Amino acid sequence: MVELARTPSVLEVPATVQALGDIAAFVLRLAGRAGLGKRAAYRLRLAVDELATNVVMHGYRGGDGRITVRGRSGPGGVQITIEDSAPAFDPVAGRLPPCPGVPPQDRRIGGLGIHLALTSVDEFAYAHRDGRNISTLTVKAEGTDPCPPRP
Amino acid sequence: MPLSVSLSIEGDTTVIELSGELDAKTAPDFHRTIEKAAGHGTTIVEIRMAGVGYMASAGLRSLVFAQQKIADHVTIKVVGAIEPVSRTIRTAGLDRSIVLSDE
Repeated sequence: MVELARTPSVLEVPATVQALGDIAAFVLRLAGRAGLGKRAAYRLRLAVDELATNVVMHGYRGGDGRITVRGRSGPGGVQITIEDSAPAFDPVAGRLPPCPGVPPQDRRIGGLGIHLALTSVDEFAYAHRDGRNISTLTVKAEGTDPCPPRP
Repeated sequence: MPLSVSLSIEGDTTVIELSGELDAKTAPDFHRTIEKAAGHGTTIVEIRMAGVGYMASAGLRSLVFAQQKIADHVTIKVVGAIEPVSRTIRTAGLDRSIVLSDE
């Protein structure tokens, strides 16, 4: 169990590619506040970036929308919640693992982002409530998780 | 952080040098450079990534695009990627068809 601050920091941005940089900066600030090492901070940023990119590119399908990111940090790690009101999408159900055996010319381009996100975090949960997708992910400080994710 | 992309030819090698962050916002620049490199007709395309501090799946898509766009007999090398970047490449299984090299 990661010890976290009671009050989350909140960032709300338009669902655009340009806003992904603001989300990354927000996440890295929380990682710094939690004292995460470089590897854990990288994993956290990658997971949030991939999930948020998916909301921008596929969730709202290029239309208007907003993404709310809430983050709580503590000495053991960071927990981030990503909320959007795009059509319901469960990342776990929509995960597309890579197919290393497929020749390059036959590979699909894309579909790996969710897989990368889910393999980068220590805990992940999805809920659909009041018309909103709510993804909650946790990255623990290195050395605190007895079963860290494997690439 | 923006991405800087340069393209040059060194003997029989087309060199793409990347520096900065490779994500959904910046990957289109890399994509355009791959299209140019595909027309050079060299036997090796070397992608130097030591200066890339972050790569998201958009960068992976560019590498898959490179494999599809560049002729089968051309070797694609990714050189100098930092550990989290090379791990991302391996996670996608691209190390089976792209040569990953430290230097």
